[in-house]
Amino acid sequence: MKQKIIIISAIVLLLALVAFMVKDFFFSRPDNSNPYAFDVEKIRNGDTAAIAFAETLQIKTSLEEIHGLATDANGNIYVSGKSGVEIFDSAGKTKYKVKIGGTANCISVDGNGYILLGMQDHIEVWRHDGRQVARWNSFGPDAVITSIAVQGNNVFVADAGQKVVYRYDKTEHLLNKIGLKDPATGVPGFIIPSAYFDLGIDKKGNLWVVNPGRHSFEKYDFDGKLLSSWGKASMAMEGFCGCCNPSNFAFISDSLFVTSEKAIERVKIYNADGSFRCLVAAPNQFEAGTKGLDLAVDNRNRILVLDPVKMRIRVFELK
Amino acid sequence: MQNRREFLNLLCRGTILTGLAATTGLLVYRSAQSGNCQLGSSCANCGKSGKCNLPQALLYKETVWQLDPTKCIQCGRCAENCVMTPSAVKVTHVYAMCGYCDLCGGYLKPDTKNISTAAENQLCPTSAIKRKFVEEPFYQYTIDEPLCIGCAKCVKGCGAFGNGSLQLQVRHDRCVNCNECAIARNCPADAFKRVPASKPYLLQGIEAKNEEKG
Repeated sequence: MKQKIIIISAIVLLLALVAFMVKDFFFSRPDNSNPYAFDVEKIRNGDTAAIAFAETLQIKTSLEEIHGLATDANGNIYVSGKSGVEIFDSAGKTKYKVKIGGTANCISVDGNGYILLGMQDHIEVWRHDGRQVARWNSFGPDAVITSIAVQGNNVFVADAGQKVVYRYDKTEHLLNKIGLKDPATGVPGFIIPSAYFDLGIDKKGNLWVVNPGRHSFEKYDFDGKLLSSWGKASMAMEGFCGCCNPSNFAFISDSLFVTSEKAIERVKIYNADGSFRCLVAAPNQFEAGTKGLDLAVDNRNRILVLDPVKMRIRVFELK
Repeated sequence: MQNRREFLNLLCRGTILTGLAATTGLLVYRSAQSGNCQLGSSCANCGKSGKCNLPQALLYKETVWQLDPTKCIQCGRCAENCVMTPSAVKVTHVYAMCGYCDLCGGYLKPDTKNISTAAENQLCPTSAIKRKFVEEPFYQYTIDEPLCIGCAKCVKGCGAFGNGSLQLQVRHDRCVNCNECAIARNCPADAFKRVPASKPYLLQGIEAKNEEKG
């Protein structure tokens, strides 16, 4: 009897051993977890508590590529891109389509309804009915025009390739250059590691230019004198992340800054003194790797974000 | 009964002797073959040394292992699977692509409060990246290769937040050019391939520029 028990136990043990070996040999998978993992997604899905805006509308464009966004005083929305400009009313209904030759990287609309397009190395002026009014001379073989702003008779042009802002009048007469490095006057010079270099005029008529390599905004008078600057490099919410940010900006209400970034795709609002105010759109609302989130604010203080990956204009309103 | 035993005994002895003779013959034959091999030391680390046919050996001699940065997913296996310790895969800095940023995504942990060289701020687990001030606001980042284990943490950070100038590459002053690369066998992205020994690196940026120059 005792011998039987021993034999049965031995057989059970043997079977268990064989079963373990079979499982280990055929069914166990090697541990492929990465001990050096760096979870970038965790950063993208970080703090969203500061979101004060809600997305209320998406406008789909028919352009092949989209690069520039602007609004006019009547609330019309202008999108520029490859081979064309599309104009929508404030509800997102297409009003006009303008066919152009080439790609317009940026767009601005002046008070008289003239559409200024920043091509690679020159500016073109168009009307909404498809008439080309002017074609400016090339800024040079190294020019990469990334932003245009119009104020009265002044046309400010940001050239990322030559790291300078040009001030022209509307007759294409160069008035002066702004932002060239000059230790004597304390102008630090623009650092532009990639072709994201935005500028704008606030409601008080001040010229603000992003210095993306320094993660800062710089305020200049029209003669090129540096008046002030603000900005902080940081992955945290209150700073600007990555290699060169903010990539784009616009003004809302009383000179508040709306900014967009690449790397950590987010849209934020800063107070006039540069302190962080709130989040408009969090990184998880964009596809990873989205770049060129151009911004505009319409006459109803809605924030318009150009999403070149989803090929849409995304409209955000205060909750 | 006795005859059967003698027969089995003889059969066993005969089998053993035949086996020994065959093995000796094979060894002599292979020795003679490898003596004729013209590839010299380049076959030293090949598992098929002396057993391959010539075209395969020539291919082995003229090519080396390399990692395609466009396929790399920064899984960390280069640090774990190489037969060398530390791994022969190292991070390489393509300076032509670097923004020389103060806030470097490949150097600093994302939640760092101060931008400094303090160990707790560094993303690299072995502090293999050295940061040096150039001029305001530029910093140069160099790789201390003996410290680098090829974990690709910095590659991921640079790709996500910067220009992607940090790239993993097999360093051929360390790689023993195994016939079957242990990392290639375990690479989930199939990023390893044999490349001509005359053009052993696959850096992005530089490669593209070289092609443009034609």
